[in-house]
Amino acid sequence: MRSLVIMLSVAIGLFAGIMVLAIYKGVMRSRIKTVIYAETGHIQIHDTSFKKDYEPGFTIRNGVSIVNEIQKYPEIKTVATRTITMGMLSTTTGSSGIQINGVIPEQEHLASQLNQKINEGAGFNPNKHHEVLIGKKLAKKMKLQMGSKLVLTCTDSSNNIIASAFRVAAIYESDNAPLDEKNVYIRQTELNEMLGIGKEFHEIVVLLHKDEALEQVEKKLKDQYPNYLTENWKIISPETDLMVGTVDITSYIIMAIILFALAFGIINTMLMGILERTKEIGMMMALGMNRLKLFILVLMETFFLTITGAPIGLFISWGVTGYYNTHGINWSSRGKEMMSSFGFNTTIYPEFPDEKIMMTLFFVVLTAMLSCIYPAMKALKLKPVDALRK
Amino acid sequence: MKTVIDAHNISKVYNKDKIPVYAINNVHLHIELGEFTALVGPSGSGKTTLLNLIGGLDTPDAGKIEINGTDITALRSNELIDFRLKNIGFVFQSFNLIPVLTAEENVAFIMELQGMSKAERQNRIKTLFGQIGLEDKLNSRPSQLSGGQQQRVAVARALASKPQFVLADEPTANLDTASANKLMDIMALLNKEEQMTFIFSTHDPRVIERARRVITLVDGSIVSDTAQVNIYSTNGHEK
Repeated sequence: MRSLVIMLSVAIGLFAGIMVLAIYKGVMRSRIKTVIYAETGHIQIHDTSFKKDYEPGFTIRNGVSIVNEIQKYPEIKTVATRTITMGMLSTTTGSSGIQINGVIPEQEHLASQLNQKINEGAGFNPNKHHEVLIGKKLAKKMKLQMGSKLVLTCTDSSNNIIASAFRVAAIYESDNAPLDEKNVYIRQTELNEMLGIGKEFHEIVVLLHKDEALEQVEKKLKDQYPNYLTENWKIISPETDLMVGTVDITSYIIMAIILFALAFGIINTMLMGILERTKEIGMMMALGMNRLKLFILVLMETFFLTITGAPIGLFISWGVTGYYNTHGINWSSRGKEMMSSFGFNTTIYPEFPDEKIMMTLFFVVLTAMLSCIYPAMKALKLKPVDALRK
Repeated sequence: MKTVIDAHNISKVYNKDKIPVYAINNVHLHIELGEFTALVGPSGSGKTTLLNLIGGLDTPDAGKIEINGTDITALRSNELIDFRLKNIGFVFQSFNLIPVLTAEENVAFIMELQGMSKAERQNRIKTLFGQIGLEDKLNSRPSQLSGGQQQRVAVARALASKPQFVLADEPTANLDTASANKLMDIMALLNKEEQMTFIFSTHDPRVIERARRVITLVDGSIVSDTAQVNIYSTNGHEK
């Protein structure tokens, strides 16, 4: 029974540790995926001065030829262009500062899955003009509905204030509520016309086939276009990169807490074991088992119980993470708003942390071995003559 | 005859700081090779304490104990454990077999501690289980054995390390008459055939009458030490 308790403690401790790592890995992988595939792309190219004040005049001058060239890179999956300006969205009831994104719908659907985020309306209609896609949070804030009329105001490339009326063609909702509140999408040709920048644009978004090619392609683009600002998603979204590091630390802290609890479980159970077997230990010492051998005996018992419990924990966590990796853990009913306000998907797909398994196993075994030292020392302090009387 | 145990003026005092209680009071004991000795006396007379002292399980507060010329009171803890392993066999009142091990493993355990080879262990186990008459119980766990059988395994375990002598604390206290007689037969046979020295504490008249020397303790002191003619043969029947 006692052995079973230790084996189960180890199995549950390992399971809990691996699940924490798996959930964190899943959350972060999902966040990175959202950043890359729904927000920034892998790499973006801008005029070097554009991001300082978002001046409409700082376009990528020879943007079309750059797009044509980089589309030939085998590592690149898709390229999209955006015209971007800061402006004001006004309705009869109020106004809100926003970022107006002029996009080519077909490209944007590939680069940021804009069409997949739409949960009301059908998106841009090729037969209509002056349509705008707004985020759900902005729509709620500005009390806008499908077909509502609004006015977008911005300054053009000659610093003249310019305004144009649009109708809501769709309301979208992404995993990042703050971005939904800030970004509206209109056709690139219409924004370019407002800004007076012809066929130019401000941003080239690059999506790669594989994340691993990021550094290589980034370097290539930097070398090829030194007069433009080429940045990867980690630079564009530093908070995500920081979050990855923070989450790693957080997962280790939670892991340490789990191991701490495991240690107390083992200490308690082994102490009970020593107490239960006081007479047996006394007998072994009386018959000639020396203290070193007794110490090794307690250590070996814990070691074997640990390495028996560990595969059970490993197997269960592998099965559970495998199941939820396919089906997902849905948090939408518990904290959808909180999750999306931090830019996280409400469905978490835990990933088995293969790269951390050896380390986790090592720490579980180490914790178990360290935990049994105190009970072993207690056993060593027993005097055979007293122990035999118990 | 060769002296196996020589205890000089040994005392063991409990509760030294308040009202001292002499569990053993200035006892001198001399045991020779091949003796079959019973320590008798009322409860609290010091029988178990004396066995613990000469077995090196406890240390006297005064006096010294020599086993085959080695002063065990001068040995350090680990040296004493090693000395016990090589020189002294123990049989306890409540058998004290390890419940998760088989009868064979319980006996082999001591030989493993001594570093005996596997072949040597197997030979010795065969001999010992033959002597205690439990050749067919090698793979039985203690829970599958009767009290008498468990105590016989305990005797085999005590003899496994080929000790200088065996100390048995109330070995028949938990046994019925038949089992007690059987156990005494085995011990008497081993004493006779292998010159194995046995010292046992007991209340049991069935054991006392089988001993060749009876030492009586009262309040920690030896009050009588008598040799008696054993009227029993090794099979427990009157001669």
